[in-house]
Amino acid sequence: MPRIDNDIKLDFKDVLLRPKRSTLKSRSEVELTRSFTFRNSGQSYQGIPIIAANMDTVGTFEMARALCKFSLFTAVHKHYTVDEWKDFAASSPDCLENVAVSSGTGQSDFQHLEEVLSAIPQLRYICLDVANGYSEQFVQHVKDVRARFPKHTIMAGNVVTGEMVEELILSGADIIKVGIGPGSVCTTRKKTGVGYPQLSAVIECADAAHGLNGHIISDGGCSCPGDVAKAFGAGADFVMLGGMLSGHTECGGETIEKNGKKYKLFYGMSSETAMKKHAGGVAEYRASEGKTVEVPFQGDVEHTVKDILGGIRSTCTYVGAGKLKELSRRTTFIRVTQQLNPMFSN
Amino acid sequence: MPRVDADIKLDFKDVLLRPKRSSLKSRAEVDLVRTFTFRNSKQTYTGIPIIAANMDTVGTFEMAKVLSKHTLFTAIHKHYTLEDWKQFASSSPECLEHVAVSSGSGQADLERLCSILEGIPLIKYICLDVANGYSEHFVEFVKTVHAKFPNHTIMAGNVVTGEMVEELILSGADIIKVGIGPGSVCTTRIKTGVGYPQLSAVIECADSAHGLKGHIISDGGCSCPGDVAKAFGAGADFVMLGGMLAGHDQCAGDITEKNGKKVMLFYGMSSDTAMKKHSGKVAEYRASEGRTVEVPYKGDVEDTIRDVLGGVRSTCTYVGAAKLKELSRRTTFIRVTQQFNQMFT
Repeated sequence: MPRIDNDIKLDFKDVLLRPKRSTLKSRSEVELTRSFTFRNSGQSYQGIPIIAANMDTVGTFEMARALCKFSLFTAVHKHYTVDEWKDFAASSPDCLENVAVSSGTGQSDFQHLEEVLSAIPQLRYICLDVANGYSEQFVQHVKDVRARFPKHTIMAGNVVTGEMVEELILSGADIIKVGIGPGSVCTTRKKTGVGYPQLSAVIECADAAHGLNGHIISDGGCSCPGDVAKAFGAGADFVMLGGMLSGHTECGGETIEKNGKKYKLFYGMSSETAMKKHAGGVAEYRASEGKTVEVPFQGDVEHTVKDILGGIRSTCTYVGAGKLKELSRRTTFIRVTQQLNPMFSN
Repeated sequence: MPRVDADIKLDFKDVLLRPKRSSLKSRAEVDLVRTFTFRNSKQTYTGIPIIAANMDTVGTFEMAKVLSKHTLFTAIHKHYTLEDWKQFASSSPECLEHVAVSSGSGQADLERLCSILEGIPLIKYICLDVANGYSEHFVEFVKTVHAKFPNHTIMAGNVVTGEMVEELILSGADIIKVGIGPGSVCTTRIKTGVGYPQLSAVIECADSAHGLKGHIISDGGCSCPGDVAKAFGAGADFVMLGGMLAGHDQCAGDITEKNGKKVMLFYGMSSDTAMKKHSGKVAEYRASEGRTVEVPYKGDVEDTIRDVLGGVRSTCTYVGAAKLKELSRRTTFIRVTQQFNQMFT
């Protein structure tokens, strides 16, 4: 008989952070940089732990160049060739410590990963990304990659529950990507009915990961700087953004003009658009699990980054966290029925 | 590990007031005037406790001149000079008991505040307004201002929880401004994730304040007269309005025409528009936390005031409160999922 979990699981929109007493005088005092040492690779990281998603629109070399100036991170998408990687490494060696090479679980993916990593030894991060991180095959793949690259820091996912976070960490992953279905162009929840509200997923998975000295990325579901702050407040070590970074100069794809306004295409990596582009079509046995949208062109990503970082600094001052590190300890979420006064919205 | 408070906190839209038996014959019998004596200043206030917000569009001298005729109050925005104030004081001395001078917590703010209060001794109210009333620095600032002006009534905020209401009252504030993020042009909740649903904030903060004989202002979140009534019903001593008073003759800013309709600009005081106007730009380490909107031009604010006061009087007759003072005692909120029939909207 099916079981119903009676606790309501929460999304970002269901909560707000409660303000708390603070000794901070100004937002400018807040430190957003974090340092981590990873459980399995033994490597350490320092930076502002926000990651551009490994989508072919957002996880571009251009994005990596813009974000690394702010010490943000980019999971570079898996569709660049080894030569493109070499060019990037030669022209932007300073960015290499803030990027990951992405890979799926196929045999050709593994070869591609090996070629990129052996061509550019300064790369230290691997992002192993599959739609469903619950398969035994994926666990085995994580073990294989760990055995082949013992000193590289491995991000792996996606999953949404504590027991699978633990399994992947024990199989050699350092940072677990958490999120199934929350993304702005993801239709997994619609097509499959499977998913987990992102705030609850992050709270539960962070707890599981931290118990093993592992780390997590909250991947998907952030639609505004406040959501990024809530993800950190919920315990995410890193927050990965797709939709919020889409539509910028640094994104892949052409800028299109429509009724005098500029747009850029943005789509899920399991959408028809992406599957046609990279695999020649949607395989017979699959449904597309992503959508394609035209997002208004937003100019340089630098402005968006400043807006996000300014928002999180303000969050930290409201809850009395002098450092991003303290944010989750200072977080009490209250449950709400609306985020914003709709008086002047259309 | 972060804590999740399991109780759902409520906004105005989540409730309605339950009608109760009443011996009132007409709305005309309802008395909206209240009298308060303040805990720290020991001063007394009499009037209808609705306040125009200290925003540079709404908290103007022109607004004060009209509102004071109805014994409503105006928190004058902090961007007027001492000279502006002197002119206002000499042309409208009768308004002075219904206005507050606003100030932030910077050193320059304090100097300006002192010069105005010393220049115009008839002003009795100070409104100390910062985005985040939770900082120790702000608590110290309230203490400093209370020590300098022990007989002035101090409004201070904004906060949303009982423990901070108590702290500010014990530090010398008389009336605590309650509200983080509910305003119609506020984007703090979107930019930071921080906030508190306004009805619950008012219920909880009023309880804390009244326990110490302090008072509160419900600041933000009212989009119709019914919301004002709900704020009073929840225990607010005063209700502060921004968006509902925007777009009138008494507001600052130009009336422009767009597609044949007249509109006026209205914006949050931490919006790009306000920061560019008053400090030149948005600082590098900050995000803008407010929006700029064009609101339809609504003419004279007198009509809006009558509409608001008429609404609150009607609320009082529905719940059997002959005086505004009785409204919160007569209030039972019921939880709802919609406010009104959407058929023709």
